[in-house]
Amino acid sequence: MSENSVQLQIRPEYEAQGLGAADHGEIAHSLSLFERIRNINAVRKFSILLGLIVLWELYVRIGGISEYLLPPFSTTGRALVMAFWDENLLAMIGSSITILLFGYVIGILIATALTTLAVTSRFGSDLLGTLTAMLNPLPAIALLPMALLWFGLGPDAIVFTLLHSVVWPVALNTHTGFLGVSDTQRMVGRNYGLRGLTYVAKILIPAAFPSILTGLRIGWAYAWRTLIAAELVFGGSIIDTEGTSSGGLGWFIFSNQMDLRIPYVFAGLFTVIVVGVLVENVVFRKIEQRTVARWGMQTQ
Amino acid sequence: MVQAQAAGPGPAAVDSILDVDAVTLQYKTREHLITATYRVSFQVFPSDRFVLLGPSGCGKSTLLKGVAGYLKPAEGEMRLKGQAITKPGPDRVMVFQEFDQLLPWKTVKQNITFALLNGGRCQTKAQAEAIALEYIHKVKLDRFVDTYPHMLSGGMKQRVAIARGMAMEPDILLMDEPFAALDALTRRQMQEELLQLWEDTHFTVLFVTHSIEEALIIGSRVLVLSPHPGQVKAELNAHHLEHTNVGDETFAALQKRIHDMLFADRILEEEAAPHV
Repeated sequence: MSENSVQLQIRPEYEAQGLGAADHGEIAHSLSLFERIRNINAVRKFSILLGLIVLWELYVRIGGISEYLLPPFSTTGRALVMAFWDENLLAMIGSSITILLFGYVIGILIATALTTLAVTSRFGSDLLGTLTAMLNPLPAIALLPMALLWFGLGPDAIVFTLLHSVVWPVALNTHTGFLGVSDTQRMVGRNYGLRGLTYVAKILIPAAFPSILTGLRIGWAYAWRTLIAAELVFGGSIIDTEGTSSGGLGWFIFSNQMDLRIPYVFAGLFTVIVVGVLVENVVFRKIEQRTVARWGMQTQ
Repeated sequence: MVQAQAAGPGPAAVDSILDVDAVTLQYKTREHLITATYRVSFQVFPSDRFVLLGPSGCGKSTLLKGVAGYLKPAEGEMRLKGQAITKPGPDRVMVFQEFDQLLPWKTVKQNITFALLNGGRCQTKAQAEAIALEYIHKVKLDRFVDTYPHMLSGGMKQRVAIARGMAMEPDILLMDEPFAALDALTRRQMQEELLQLWEDTHFTVLFVTHSIEEALIIGSRVLVLSPHPGQVKAELNAHHLEHTNVGDETFAALQKRIHDMLFADRILEEEAAPHV
C-alpha cells in the first residue's frame, strides 16, 4: 500500500423508513404566463420580424432615403394592398403557383423513376450518380435560353427549367436516403417476402423519408427561385391559352420596375418571400409533424 | 402438442424440422473472402430450443442468416422440412438484436399486422388485428398497442419483435442475440418471459448467443462452435437447466465444461507465454 492511499471508510448501513409524501413540495410546478408565452416559437420569431419592420421604417424616414431607392414599409404595405385590389396580384400568384406545382409534380415522378432504377440495378445507380454529379451544379435558369428555343415562348420552356431544378436534388436526397436504410430493416422487409416495387414502396420509401423530405424541401426552394427568375426575364412573352399574358409574380416585379413603381416592386418581393415562408412553415412543417416527427425519425 | 425432443441419441420419434448438412458459409469484405463456418451440421427438431453458442468469430450469426435465407452456402445444404432453403421467407421469422428492427413508421399493432398481411398469414385486416392484439397481450404490452416504437424502452421493443415473430407462427423462430443489447435486469426478465411463452405453445426456436449462461438457461440443446472458422465442438443437452439452477453444481459443471471447451486453446497459449 502506498503512503498516499486512504483507508476504506466503513460506515453503518441504513434503510429509509416510510418516505414522506408532503416533504418535498410540488413535483411539477407550472411556469409563469410570461415564461410560457416566451416558449412559443411563433411569438419569438414574430417579435424579430416586427423589430426588423420598425428598423426599416425608421431607417427610411430618419435617413431621408429616396422612395425610388427604398420605399418605407408603410408605402410598401399600401402598394401591396393596392396590388391585390387593383392589379390582380392574386391571379399572378395563382399563375405562378400553378406552373410551379405542375413542374414540381412531374419532377418528383421523374426523380422517383430514376431512384427506383438506381436501387434496383447497378447501371441505374451509376447513371444517377453521373447525371446528378454533372447536372446538379448547373443553375436551371442557365438552361432557359435554350429551353425557349426548343419549346418556344410558352409555359413548356419554364416547366422544363423547373424540372431541372427539382429532379436532381430530389433524386440525390432520395437515393442517399435509400442507401442509408439499415441492414436490419432491409432484412425485416425481405423476411416477409417483399421484393421489387413493393419492397421499395413499403420499406425503402418510409425508412428513407427524412432524407426524401429534405430533398422535397430543397427541390421546392430551387424551383421557386428558378420560377421567379424565369418570369422576371421572360414572363411578359409567355402567353397562356386565352391569349393574355398573366406573367406571374416575377413579371409583376419586373414590369413595375420598368415603370418606376418602386413600392410595387417591393410589394412583389414581399409576396415572393411570404409564399416561400408559408410553404416551408405550413405545408412542409405539417408533413414533417405528421410523419418523421411522429415516428421519432428526425435527424436533428 | 409435440413433446420436446428426448435427451440422448437414438432413433427420432419425429422428423426433424431443420437440417443443416455440412454447410460452409463464406462472405466477402472489400479485401478478403472470409470463411465464417466450415462444414457445420446439425438438426433441429420440433419444439427444440436450439442454441448456437460460441465466441465472436465463430460464425453463429452468419449461420442464422444462412438459415433465414439471406446468405447462400458455398458448400453443403440447408433444408427446412425437407425443402432446400434458397431465399428469405415468412416460414422462418427472424428476431434481431438491433432495436431498429421495428418499423418506426408503424405503431406496435401495425408492426405486427404489417408482417401478418405482407407475409401472407392473414388475408383481411380484421383477422390480422385480432391476432396482433392476442400476441401483444401475450407479451404484456396491451397499454402500448397504438404507440410508435421510438416511445418504447429497449426491452419493450424486443418484446414487440418477439410478439411479431410468434404471431407469424413460423416453422422456426430465429433469434439473433435478441437480449444482448439489454441491461442485465431486463435481460433476465426477458429470458424468463421467453421460456414462459415457450411453455404455452412449444414453438421451435433457433437462438444465437455468446453467453454460456444464457445458452444453458434458454436452450434445450446447445451447439458449441469454435471460432475462425466456425466448426462444431459439441452438441449438448441443457433441457434440465433454467434460472433456478444457476449456481447449482450441475449447472456450474456444465458451464465450466463448455468454457474449457471454448477457451482450451487460449489457456494453452497463455501458459506458453512467459509470466512477468
